[in-house]
Amino acid sequence: MSNQIVFDNVSKFYGDVLGVNRVNLSIPPGITSLVGPNGSGKTTLMNLMTGLIRPSRGHIRILDMSPDQPEELFRVVGYCSQFDALPKGLSGYEFIYSYLKLFGHDAEACDELAWRAIDLVGLREAAHRKAAAYSKGMRQRIRLAQSLAHNPRVLILDEPLNGLDPLVRAETIALFRSLAKQGRHVLLSSHVLHEVDIISDQVILMSGGYVIAEGNIQGVRSEIDDQPMQILIRCNRPSDLASRVFKEDHVVEVRVHNDRRGLLVKTSNPDRFYLLMNKVALDGINIESVAPVDDDVNSVYEYLIGTEEVTR
Amino acid sequence: MNKLWSKQIRAVIRLEMKKTFFAKRGLWIYLLALAPVGLFFAHTLVEIHFRGVRHEMSQKTTRPLTEQDFSSIHDGMTRDDVVKLLGEPPVSRTGARRVRTGPHSFDQNSFESMRYSDGRTELIVNLEKGAVVGIGMSTGASLGQDTYIFAGVFQFFFLRLAIFFGCLGIFMNLFRGEMLDKSLHFYLLAPVRREVLLVGKYLAALLAATVIFTTSVALQLIALLSLYGSNIIANYLYQDHGWSQVIAYLGITILACVGYGSIFLAAGLFFRNPIIPAAFVLIWEAANPVLPSLLKQFSVIYYLRSLCPVDIPVDPGMPPLLALLISNAEPISAYVAVFGLLAVSVAILAGSMRRVRSLEINYTTE
Repeated sequence: MSNQIVFDNVSKFYGDVLGVNRVNLSIPPGITSLVGPNGSGKTTLMNLMTGLIRPSRGHIRILDMSPDQPEELFRVVGYCSQFDALPKGLSGYEFIYSYLKLFGHDAEACDELAWRAIDLVGLREAAHRKAAAYSKGMRQRIRLAQSLAHNPRVLILDEPLNGLDPLVRAETIALFRSLAKQGRHVLLSSHVLHEVDIISDQVILMSGGYVIAEGNIQGVRSEIDDQPMQILIRCNRPSDLASRVFKEDHVVEVRVHNDRRGLLVKTSNPDRFYLLMNKVALDGINIESVAPVDDDVNSVYEYLIGTEEVTR
Repeated sequence: MNKLWSKQIRAVIRLEMKKTFFAKRGLWIYLLALAPVGLFFAHTLVEIHFRGVRHEMSQKTTRPLTEQDFSSIHDGMTRDDVVKLLGEPPVSRTGARRVRTGPHSFDQNSFESMRYSDGRTELIVNLEKGAVVGIGMSTGASLGQDTYIFAGVFQFFFLRLAIFFGCLGIFMNLFRGEMLDKSLHFYLLAPVRREVLLVGKYLAALLAATVIFTTSVALQLIALLSLYGSNIIANYLYQDHGWSQVIAYLGITILACVGYGSIFLAAGLFFRNPIIPAAFVLIWEAANPVLPSLLKQFSVIYYLRSLCPVDIPVDPGMPPLLALLISNAEPISAYVAVFGLLAVSVAILAGSMRRVRSLEINYTTE
């Protein structure tokens, strides 16, 4: 049995409007982030994965299961959608409990699983309050608990960190990491790029319904040949270093860092630049560190799309 | 049936029952269901009041009167003739009325309205200028008459409007309401076959509609029968097919919920705007008597009418359209009616299952 989420040439059109087009993906376990601005197709991909919408073309397999088989699929898949509504008249506990009852579990098992999920998101004290009266953050957490309650192998989360306060946000990220460590799939969408950078094992960059890049973020950055890479060099004599590196033909821009204790260099050939740094170190300039500064999601996204719609 | 499916259906029913019975937006359904109960209780209270008035009048007459005494009064008799036959009236109202006699002349006509009662029937004798000009006789309610009234209210208000719109409110919202609330996806993200979900939702709504409307029928009958003594009630129930009528009304109510429920559940799945299918079905059901025989079979009221235990008498002076609605020109046997209705409902539910299987959630377009 495959442990991958596979999209095989999947397209989805809403009438004449493009949702996603020709998506081919093979997503391994771990934390995978779908990144892109509003309307880029992130939610469409998630809804396709969970059978809430059907592809116009192509096939999707989740751990070798089709989204058309909810009775099997949702025993291993949990989906926390971005729809903020909750069923009316239920407390947080009743919401989780009644969802678990649909699995066919007995009352005792449902009770145990419901409390475990509620504890995971830290909502025990508010569990018996009507969910309709919850704050936005609490609603987000109870929906997260619902998607986690049956201990799924694949967790799909649409903007899961929206509305959470910093403490809960950190706890939630830690929870995702621990789930990923257990070999599960945690697939989340976000437009908050610094969070994606922190938590993701791999990213899928989307724009206008197309997947424009996928994989490990550093790997994606290294494949972008037409954009010079920006590197920060911390050293004791930045001005001397600037005049030294500017002679090289692959160096396209040199700027002394604002704190005057380093140099920002843009190079079209990072490999040659790193070799150069070895030589410079031998010339007596004390180099403390050399590190790329634009191999984060935001820079990669900017280079690929040429837009800054996503939030830093 | 698969054991898991049965557990899942029970879980869906539990969830849905709470929503159906206690939803604020369903309050009007209770009002609609209880309207005829209010009507029959009001009828009972009014009848009890007039029964008291008639009894009081009968106590005040100079001698016990009978209906025979009343029928001896006729137009043209003088006041003295009436008093000689019936005695002084226990209740009387006198006055004068201005009557035009020419272009500029008026006359004052004295009138009197005399009321007698034998305790059950009330006689009203109207006199003008000392002579009888009008006689009115009203008899208190009788159970026989009331069963016709009940049959009329049941067929023309309860079946065609109360249950119709009640089922519309309950069943149409099973899927459409949750799409509008943006909460349907919680069901669709559970490991439940969508057909099983549909059956669970349908049964939950059917249970709720059945409880609401059969309770209403029972209360209507209680209100109606509470007017009569235990002997009359026992006679009606045990000698005059009363029990079979009660069971028939309850059964028809359940079948109406089954039929209309399946139609409106399907309408909620196939249409975004419930007004259009509701209006169409309402017109279709109303037009049933004038439809060709084949098309008649594709309606709920066609089967239900044949099951109604009391035929409403058609008055010769009735407007033709009303007479057409009342008379059942092509009655069918009870077996055909029950199985025909169930077959139509199952066919509609099967179509709904196909639809729900391919249902997509796209709240932004709802």
